[in-house]
Amino acid sequence: MQINQQVTTKNAIKLGALWLLLLVLNAAMALVAIAVGSAGYSLGEIIRGICSPEPNPVKTIVISLRLPRVLLAMLVGAALSAAGTLLQAVMRNPLADPGTIGVSAGASTAATTIMLIFPNMLSAVPLFAFGGAALACVLIYALAWKGGVDPIRIILSGVAINSVLGAYNGLLQLLNSDRLQGVLAFMNGSLSGRSWPHVRVALIYASIGLFFAFLCIKSANILQLGDEMAQSLGMKVSLNRVLLSGVSAFLAAATVFVAGMIGFVGLVVPHISRLIVGSDHKALLPTCVLLGSFILLLADTIGRVIVPGMEIPVGIVMAVTGGPFFLYMLRKRGKAVAS
Amino acid sequence: MQVSANDMQICYGDYIAVDDMHITIQKSKITTIIGPNGSGKSTVLKGLTRLLKPKRGSVYLDSKEITTFSPKELAKRLGVLPQKHSAPPDFKVRELVGYGRMPHQKWFSQHSKEDEIIIDWALRVTNTWELQNKSIHECSGGEAQRVWLALVLAQQPEILFLDEPTTYLDIAHQMDTMNLIKRFNRKSGIGVVMVLHDLSHAMQVSDWVVVMKDGRKYDEGPPEDVITCKMMREVYQVDCQIIEIEGREKPLLAYREL
Repeated sequence: MQINQQVTTKNAIKLGALWLLLLVLNAAMALVAIAVGSAGYSLGEIIRGICSPEPNPVKTIVISLRLPRVLLAMLVGAALSAAGTLLQAVMRNPLADPGTIGVSAGASTAATTIMLIFPNMLSAVPLFAFGGAALACVLIYALAWKGGVDPIRIILSGVAINSVLGAYNGLLQLLNSDRLQGVLAFMNGSLSGRSWPHVRVALIYASIGLFFAFLCIKSANILQLGDEMAQSLGMKVSLNRVLLSGVSAFLAAATVFVAGMIGFVGLVVPHISRLIVGSDHKALLPTCVLLGSFILLLADTIGRVIVPGMEIPVGIVMAVTGGPFFLYMLRKRGKAVAS
Repeated sequence: MQVSANDMQICYGDYIAVDDMHITIQKSKITTIIGPNGSGKSTVLKGLTRLLKPKRGSVYLDSKEITTFSPKELAKRLGVLPQKHSAPPDFKVRELVGYGRMPHQKWFSQHSKEDEIIIDWALRVTNTWELQNKSIHECSGGEAQRVWLALVLAQQPEILFLDEPTTYLDIAHQMDTMNLIKRFNRKSGIGVVMVLHDLSHAMQVSDWVVVMKDGRKYDEGPPEDVITCKMMREVYQVDCQIIEIEGREKPLLAYREL
């Protein structure tokens, strides 16, 4: 009993230290992200600019351009990582990610369609995005279901849905190239030109989504024991599957609305987090949220500065680094997943 | 308490896996379901525990139909260890056993003092106390099986359903597991229903044996009455002798020479 308590306390301290470290990393990265950019200001200039009571260009750039973008990157990263973690728990597959298996594409398709057909219904777009994401989830299940959910079939049907929706989105893009100002942003996940209204939307939706994600921790853990075990422990398995998928789709849809499709965050972050803290969602989910926010901010900042005079959308940075990572995981874990 | 099925039929799609099944499981007895591969043993087990829904007929817990229980109420009374179970390899043994307390907890509550005491008890009776801070991945096959048993015991069920608890284990671990099952049945009066392939184990530990053949019940009764040369020939198509040995309580099975 005593030894057991000591172990528990030690683990709790380790975990707390890790979360603190991630918080500090987030804060440091945010400072870096605010300081770097095409208009190069030194840290001193930025502090003086912000503190000065009169309006000045430094203050304008930092407050209305860089700060909202930094916050948005963090929110989107956190939401996508949580969405990926839940999706992986539901599908019992570490390769599930809203970006790669078509959940984000579903959100994007619904959002794009609605913006093209009813340009005046802008306020309803997040809802439609959520509907599209949820529908994509249902489709993936329907296609992969064959007397049970096979982890490999889920990924395959997800990838198929992703490419079909991708083609449809591309077609819309071609047919409506004249009206595509806002629509284009959905295709390549990007955070450029976002400002406070976007932050507000993201903050509201991500907070709601994350709140529900944290309520799902216990179900996510028990689902890991297999459907039959979960059911015989008194869990309503199908209901919980739907709930967890719904929360995940909601989080993914929220990010699509403000930042477009960004893949691989929901894949890379949970994987790294699992290596550090293990598979217990009590430790995993908070770690994912903190690490996800850091990684997306890092990726966006890299995209802003890596090619001088040009911005690489964060979706592309994530795809370029996340794609090979996905392949690496397929090779490493494909066998474990299949068995 | 008893669990009984009345005229149960279970299908997978069009395929009838179990038909005309009448069975009554008594609490505090060890009931073993035997039969060849594909004879519907596991399906009966799943039907009795609501993991599969019968197409026809009904299953009762005492006199109440099993479908009227909430999943949690049922989980407090019936523990099920499926044939296939899995956990993330890094889950710690104690944590895993703790999930057995789930049916007794509110959705967000942590383990109470009482929960911890019951987890301690489950770890001790299954001889997994020393393993509690290891991850499940570090346990051998036999150890892992005992950990899973601890999990279902932590549920504090009145009847335990085990689907082939000894498959994939070497003979030493098979004996360990059988001993364990027999011990906690005799000590705490927990009823046990299990599917077994090993007929000598069935002979030795069971109070009651149910024989399945082609999805139907072929026979049932005390092991010595049911496990006979005639049954072996008709159900398994295997010739055998059943030999009494002095000093042993139960007879032995000697199969036809290879």
